[in-house]
Amino acid sequence: MTADTVPAARETALPPRDRAGPRAHPIRRLARNPRSVLGAVILTALGVTAVLAPLVAPDAPDHAHFLDRLAPPGVAHLLGADHLGRDVLSRVIWASRTSLLIGVVSAAAAVAFGLLLGGLSGFFGGWVDVVIMRTTDVVLAFPVFFIAVMFLALFGPSVPGLVLVLAATSWPPSARLVRAEFLRLRQREFVTATRALGASSLRIMIRHLLPNVVAVVVISVTLRVGLAILAEASLSYLGLGVQPPTPSWGNIIADGRDYLLTGWWISLFPGVFVLLAVLAFNLVGDGIRDAFDPKMQL
Amino acid sequence: MGPYIGRRLLHAIPILVGVTVLTFAVLVAAPGDPVFLLIAPEQQANADVGALRAELGLNRPLPVQYGVMMAALLTGRLRSFQERRPTLAMTAEALGPTALLGGLALLLAVVLAVPIALVSALRPYSPLDHLVTMLSLLGIALPSFWFALVLIFLFTDRLAWLPASGLRPAGATGYAPALIWPYLVMPAVVLCLSILPLLVRYARSALLETLHEEHVLVARAKGLTAARVLGRHVLRNSMIPVVTVIGLLIPNLLSGALVVETIFAIPGLGRLAVTGALGRDYPVVMTTTLVGAVLVVLTNLATDVSYALLDPRIRFD
Repeated sequence: MTADTVPAARETALPPRDRAGPRAHPIRRLARNPRSVLGAVILTALGVTAVLAPLVAPDAPDHAHFLDRLAPPGVAHLLGADHLGRDVLSRVIWASRTSLLIGVVSAAAAVAFGLLLGGLSGFFGGWVDVVIMRTTDVVLAFPVFFIAVMFLALFGPSVPGLVLVLAATSWPPSARLVRAEFLRLRQREFVTATRALGASSLRIMIRHLLPNVVAVVVISVTLRVGLAILAEASLSYLGLGVQPPTPSWGNIIADGRDYLLTGWWISLFPGVFVLLAVLAFNLVGDGIRDAFDPKMQL
Repeated sequence: MGPYIGRRLLHAIPILVGVTVLTFAVLVAAPGDPVFLLIAPEQQANADVGALRAELGLNRPLPVQYGVMMAALLTGRLRSFQERRPTLAMTAEALGPTALLGGLALLLAVVLAVPIALVSALRPYSPLDHLVTMLSLLGIALPSFWFALVLIFLFTDRLAWLPASGLRPAGATGYAPALIWPYLVMPAVVLCLSILPLLVRYARSALLETLHEEHVLVARAKGLTAARVLGRHVLRNSMIPVVTVIGLLIPNLLSGALVVETIFAIPGLGRLAVTGALGRDYPVVMTTTLVGAVLVVLTNLATDVSYALLDPRIRFD
């Protein structure tokens, strides 16, 4: 389902077209990478549509036109209407708010959690490190989607529960990454110097180490949003995520499940949106990683 | 090798105990009383809830409940709340379809990924390579449950070529290939596609790295045929990272199986786990979680052992 446990494939050499020179500013290198530009364009379009949903959507997401039940895509309903006569385009646009928000929030929460644990682990070492890293290994070794399904089935589906479960099962990769960075950084002279000046551990971590892992954090969040959107869609499809009447891409696809022959458009279009959103986040995330450091293990 | 495997299995025990304790804690904390799911709503008013709870062992102290549950599980006496059958037997039955499906998907993914990655890596940044990269990026972003619906729409609803649910025709039993293959095509393809793109990307970068190594240059320089260079010197040396990724993808495969089994109504482990959790069938939830964890531990071990088979320099002692 999701690529949680697998570090991304590493590129051995920069593709010729991406070479803006080793000293070019990362942003400039990013802007020269056609794939990340494509991703950024899709993301911007999706983001703007989601924010402006009340203005952009042709109709309210739950407005049922009973005469238009299962109306195929056409002038009245650009992407067709569902089994209750609700406009699919409007539902998909409103759903993008739910789906994108859950994706971004749970990805940010997962990375924040990973940052905290990885930071403590890398900075203090010793038994703190052992405990945190063994826990990480255990979580990494388990089919996390499986656990998410169990948890949501037992506790009842809810949006906060969904975000919590997604964050609680997907922090280990970021924790490992941040730990490695902290391990590397804490050996550096500026940390020793700061410590000699009498700074506390907390101050060193927050003022001196944290700013150095911003790139890693931004990249982790971006790449994780795609996975979170996929997981949310799957869980909502199974009836364990966002509950109707609130539209989410996953539960609209589930709505269309019983109408494949008579209303294929209900399930088709939200799926395309999921595909585009995940693709865009991954393209941008890959692009940022390559712009900063193509050898980074993310 | 023997002692190494034994030690690894010993190390797995605390992890597995941890998993069961954690699962038990989640089950206890979950809202809702499982007893009421066994009584029809109209009879709930006059049912002897206390007697039923005592029968299921739900009135005893929690540590005792845990101990009794685990002892019963391990000896195969633990019974499902709903079906009143031993959960170990139910899980064993469900394991067959999941193993078959997962095995097929994995086989298909490896058979496809290696040649695709090879064409891609031999001409890096060629149009073909860009196409492969773009397709694998699309594949990673593809929601598998949605892709399953697209396939059902095309091959079941429109073309009527393949059945969309179940594992075998009604009334049939067993795993006769002639009977069940049409039922496995779509689920296996969907499950395969959930790991194929990652495998391609990984194999490609592993191959690229090996292709740039000096021993490959030497092999070419001494006039070996391209086939021999690739077969003996490149492929074999690239397989270790690929095997690692396959090992890491096994949990993904289990999660994917859950979705695929639910959509295609295949009576496998994933579906058993979901119906168990939805019906608050605690014994089933505990058993499927434990079996899932055992599977992951065993595949991790198999991955590590296969390193030694691929690279004779790696020894475990």
